[in-house]
Amino acid sequence: MIVVDDVSKWFGDVVAVSDVSFRVGPGVTALLGPNGAGKSTMLRLLCGLTTPSQGTVRVLGADPHGDPALYRRVGLVPQQEAVFGSLSGRQFVRLAAHLQGLAQPDAAAVASLHVVELDPDDGRPMSTYSKGMRQRAKVAQALVHDPEVLMLDEPLEGLDPRQRLHLIELFRRLGSDGRCVVVSSHVLDEVERFGSRVLVMAQGRLAAEGDFHEIRALMDDRPNRLRVRTDHPRELAAALLGADSVVAVRLQDDALFVDTDDVGSFRRAVAPAAVRAGARLLELVPLDDDLESVFRYLVGRG
Amino acid sequence: MGALYRLFLRTQATRGRLIGLLLLGALAVVLGYAVGASPSADPVDDGTILMVSYGLALFVPVATLVFASAVLGEPNEDGTLVYLWLKPIARWRIVAAALAATLTVTLPVVVIPMVAAAAATGAGAPLVRGTLAATVLATIAYTGVFTWLGLRVKRALVWGLAYILVWEGFVARAGANPSRLAIRANARSLLVRMSGGPTRLISVSKPTAIAIPIAAAVLGVVLTIRRLIRQDVA
Repeated sequence: MIVVDDVSKWFGDVVAVSDVSFRVGPGVTALLGPNGAGKSTMLRLLCGLTTPSQGTVRVLGADPHGDPALYRRVGLVPQQEAVFGSLSGRQFVRLAAHLQGLAQPDAAAVASLHVVELDPDDGRPMSTYSKGMRQRAKVAQALVHDPEVLMLDEPLEGLDPRQRLHLIELFRRLGSDGRCVVVSSHVLDEVERFGSRVLVMAQGRLAAEGDFHEIRALMDDRPNRLRVRTDHPRELAAALLGADSVVAVRLQDDALFVDTDDVGSFRRAVAPAAVRAGARLLELVPLDDDLESVFRYLVGRG
Repeated sequence: MGALYRLFLRTQATRGRLIGLLLLGALAVVLGYAVGASPSADPVDDGTILMVSYGLALFVPVATLVFASAVLGEPNEDGTLVYLWLKPIARWRIVAAALAATLTVTLPVVVIPMVAAAAATGAGAPLVRGTLAATVLATIAYTGVFTWLGLRVKRALVWGLAYILVWEGFVARAGANPSRLAIRANARSLLVRMSGGPTRLISVSKPTAIAIPIAAAVLGVVLTIRRLIRQDVA
């Protein structure tokens, strides 16, 4: 349903997306990456909100930039919070239904608002809405014409846990019904819950793609660095060097910096090693367990 | 297109803008009364000069700038344009709705005080008719130009004021040929020709005075549609 071939996008000297190719079919696909990875630019390219500097994008067989008729089949939840603040949620979604040419825009708006659990009879202007309510109104306007392709840029931001679960379930249902749902996120756990195919973007490049669990395993296999503080660093360093999971140990400022290719095995090995060395463990801190480092690793191995 | 038109009307006609511009309009009427009440050798000349120097030089372009630059410029800057752009509607329809809404708001705001001010000078029906024609013509022309400007640049209000002061102000006084390029000079010529005011304020013929502002409006509309089709949307 979506075909991206050798796409690059640069703004002046800044390369936002670099030589990216992928295919997306029915179901939920998560576009995962840290802030600034190029996810939003990629979604804007998929929607035709901007044109590629190089390469081609096809959505349902058409160029999304040059073909407004395509938007009858596409819905977008943009990242920006701005909505028409003077309109109520119902007016906002009805406007979208009207511009989509639906026969009964008000009925469609009411149904769509019910789907995201917003009250259609709430006549307050959206400028008074909470962030979560605005976010749900944005989802409602994207769903109102029942699009075949739905793109959502960080759609769960600002939602409380119950609303998150509700929308995740909604997106999964749409995917199971054969819709193409592309969701961008920088939160690994959020993507895990979609149970979906994943496209990992980092520094404007496609760092990895595939089933979420394969990607997750790849992330867990990467080398990790931990800092260990102890009252006998030299003795513990000698004991740790015998462990299978330890790649390297460095002593610096009375702390040990341990590189390991298996964090789980290392955690199990460190306490026995400390006993053997007669050392007391004071601290064990993973140094690169954040998502940014995971993405850096994936980019490095590409 | 009706839904878009109503949306643009709603987002454009904010209370702050309307109050500010109604005060500027009220000032035009007060000045008209002042001219009418003062002993004058030639009320037509004095009335015409007031309509030209305050009305066409300041009030009409500024009022039009405020509304026209905002109609597409604000949604473009705050990111709400995406909700209109990503719909299966021709781009010219979006622009047409924006222009219609702008003229709906701007014309009453400028025409009523300008005509009232012209009437208050006591210069008679020719000045009122000339003011009406010149104001409508200039408003249409500025609407086309400033709608495009709003979409083209950030801080369009500042750029628009610079255009009014520098381009319109300088070019309108820079001799017969250059002044044809200024909307103000054309509108001024039309007003003076119709009112019978001081002939030194006339710089172009009547057909030119009508054709150039219309051409400017059409050019502005074409550029706005082209821009909306080609530009990146935030």
